[in-house]
Amino acid sequence: MTEPLSFFQALWMGGLQGYLWVGFLLFIIGLMTVVLRRSFLLQFMGIELMLNAINIILLAFGKWHGGIPTASTFYLFIIGVAACEAAVGLALIVELYRLKSTTDADQHSGLRH
Amino acid sequence: MFLAFALLTLGSALAMAFQKNVIVAGLFLVATFIGVAGLFVLLSNPVSAALQIIVYAGAILVLLLFVIMMLNAHEEEPPQEDLYIQRYLGLGVGVLMIGGSFWFIKESKLLQSLSERPVNQVAPVSLNHIGTEMLSHHLVPFEMIGLLLLVSMIGAISLVKKRL
Amino acid sequence: MNSAILIPLIPFLGFALNGLVGHRLSRALSNFIACSAIASSFALSLVWFIRVLENPQHRFDLMIGQWIAVDYLQIPFAFVIDALSSIMLLVITGIGLLIHIYSIGYMHHEKATARFFAYLNLFVFFMTLLVMSSSLPLLFVGWEGVGLCSYLLIGYYFETEEAPRAGLKAFLYNRVGDVGVLLGMMILFLVFKTLTISDLLQQVSQRGVENYFGWLTFATLMLFLGCTGKSAQIPLYLWLPDAMAGPTPVSALIHAATMVTSGIYLVCRLAPLFVLAPHTLHLIAWIGVLTALFAATMALFQKDIKKVLAYSTVSQLGFMFLGLGVTGFSAGFFHVFTHAWFKALLFLGAGSVIVALHHEQDIFKMGGLRKKLPITFYTMLIGALCLMGFPGTSGFASKDEILYLTYLHSPMLWSLGVLAAVCTAFYTTRFMVLVFAGQPRDLNIFDHAHESPWWMTIPLILLSLGALVAVMFGWPEAFGGHNRIASWLQSAIHYAQSIQPEVHELHIGLAWKLAIITTVASLLSAGLAWKLYAEGLEWEQKFEKKCLHTYRILREKYYVDQAVQTLIINPFFRLGQVFWKLGDVILIDGIGVNLPGAVTHVMGDLGSHLQTGRLRNYTLLSLLGLLGLLVLLWSGRT
Repeated sequence: MTEPLSFFQALWMGGLQGYLWVGFLLFIIGLMTVVLRRSFLLQFMGIELMLNAINIILLAFGKWHGGIPTASTFYLFIIGVAACEAAVGLALIVELYRLKSTTDADQHSGLRH
Repeated sequence: MFLAFALLTLGSALAMAFQKNVIVAGLFLVATFIGVAGLFVLLSNPVSAALQIIVYAGAILVLLLFVIMMLNAHEEEPPQEDLYIQRYLGLGVGVLMIGGSFWFIKESKLLQSLSERPVNQVAPVSLNHIGTEMLSHHLVPFEMIGLLLLVSMIGAISLVKKRL
Repeated sequence: MNSAILIPLIPFLGFALNGLVGHRLSRALSNFIACSAIASSFALSLVWFIRVLENPQHRFDLMIGQWIAVDYLQIPFAFVIDALSSIMLLVITGIGLLIHIYSIGYMHHEKATARFFAYLNLFVFFMTLLVMSSSLPLLFVGWEGVGLCSYLLIGYYFETEEAPRAGLKAFLYNRVGDVGVLLGMMILFLVFKTLTISDLLQQVSQRGVENYFGWLTFATLMLFLGCTGKSAQIPLYLWLPDAMAGPTPVSALIHAATMVTSGIYLVCRLAPLFVLAPHTLHLIAWIGVLTALFAATMALFQKDIKKVLAYSTVSQLGFMFLGLGVTGFSAGFFHVFTHAWFKALLFLGAGSVIVALHHEQDIFKMGGLRKKLPITFYTMLIGALCLMGFPGTSGFASKDEILYLTYLHSPMLWSLGVLAAVCTAFYTTRFMVLVFAGQPRDLNIFDHAHESPWWMTIPLILLSLGALVAVMFGWPEAFGGHNRIASWLQSAIHYAQSIQPEVHELHIGLAWKLAIITTVASLLSAGLAWKLYAEGLEWEQKFEKKCLHTYRILREKYYVDQAVQTLIINPFFRLGQVFWKLGDVILIDGIGVNLPGAVTHVMGDLGSHLQTGRLRNYTLLSLLGLLGLLVLLWSGRT
């Protein structure tokens, strides 16, 4: 039985806040990749990063709620959805590349006024 | 240990985000996934860590790298126009979100009370637990995920294949 | 009891048949449908007339259903048949039948006769609806309906230039009057809270005479405005002469015998109401006599045979209103009755002449047609004698009754009336002489003239018989007759009324004196016309040279049409243009429609720059939105 960690200790030593912090940062990095990079492939990777970030947060909460298996179950579902997303998304990317032979998302901007 | 894995995760994620070459970015993504898997182990969740390695670092990444190789577009093309509003606004929002989340983690009373729970005695989640949980309480979502995978497989094939 | 509903319904069915499928039917079949519809309607009217005749005091109220029921606004869909409406029904369907038969011959060379007969049947439907309706709104339906039919039939020759224009003119002038009727109806509803005629008159009997300018006076004035429109009185008479652009049977049926008398019918129907408003009655009398006089002078030098008869109709309608204005309601209505016969006769005779001369309407080119068209001549002679009031004819009886009552009321009005009668005699003789007597002036036309087929002559003969027999109904009591029509109408007009119109004492000596004065003056004037025109046109040409201005003024109908054009129509046209340019183009189109459109367009243009088609822009934007939402929720939480 140890003393509860203080806030900054938790950040460094792996308390709940530390995992959350890592999750948030990873999410933001993924988001910025999507927003700032122009390549489809990199944007896709950004999306994968965001999925992983929420996985971290989910499992961290799962542990601090007493290691319940529900969190792991939902993690499994998320992985399933991510796999689907990867399959369909990559198929779309291939198809778009065929259309304009570029992976630059900005050039696929036909849907506008 | 936590710090090492966290740094591995975030560092390789950042490196991925700033990488010019897509293949190298993909490899950094693998490193990120491995870091995340490490974090999962520290969260006393070895099953998830194994799944992370198998599915993400194994399956999805291989698929992604396949596509990258196939498309033969390793470098990002030069931008057609400089969208500086997009860039600076995006960066601003990013900084704002970092600040906001930090403030949220620091100030939240709920998190504080939650984090003070004892976690040392928490037993690692075993595959047994997950299986029981999934097939007893979440049977319908489980089936739906299976169906979704099937549908997305068909969808991906029908999208890419030119003539069915 | 319910057979009365068939009187308007059968012509309506005839209209529906001829109007919908008439162009596919053979000519004979569509003629037969139209005529048999009117014939059965006439037979029913006759049955009802006899039923009313047995007991003239009785009113048959025929409730068919509720039409409008809103709070205390209760308007039944109901008919009423009493002496007044049964006589009108008889006139409408009887003369209507003869004119339908006549039209078979007259319209023989036209193409779209099914359309013509459909309109005629529709007219009879609306006209019977008008006279039978038991409430003012239903009456107004008929009132508008006959206006519509009038418009349609005047514009029957829509390929020509003037016919549609004349139809439009008639429609617009009637519209002015119809506003009056509507206003009158609204005021009556405000005052009495009912629009059913029987209820209205029941309440009227509880009110006193309104010697000041009050609601009743206003309402009756407005109703009378409607009557001036429909019955072509000053100031709204201008449409009737132009309405002669329609086929001649239409002129006979609508613009002489029936529709134009609906104004008189309305006044008779609401006679107790008008009695309470002596100012209005006074105005009616003056308008009537002035119209009679002016229209008669306008008819003096017209060249077109139908125009002469049109002005004559206006003038005779003026006589009728004169009768109404001096509270001689039954006398006025009797003149409606007799006038319907002889004026329809004259119009049909004129139509016969026109057909015989292959659509020549200029009486200056006629002459000597007596030998060529004997039946037309003799029947028209009867009509003309009636029109000029030859002693013993129906025209004499009714006109003399009116003039006698007028003299009791005001000798001034009487003298004007006599003047109008003198003019009537003059122009009647003039056109009869010019058409039938003397030498033919245009041999080319004369040689090709031929008597009309029996389709047309038989109605003429029947109408002339009717014109002769009509006198039996109302030979004035002063001359030893029995004014049957007055006693029949007594109950219908006075309507269980506590206030009787002034009872005129019968001065037999005075009546004889007045009749002799009128008759002698008329005969002198007729003789003068005979003498002047027996040799042809020389006198008129001389008169034209000598009194150019007078002649021109009369020929050009006092320039009223031109004055209306410059004083009313053109300013309104300009005003309309101003409204069009300012109100429509700038205000409504510009500020009202195009400005919001332009603003939306500009804003859309600006907003469309947000829509770049770039995925990451959208992502960032939705992210911003999400953040904004979070901030909003967060700040709202505390």
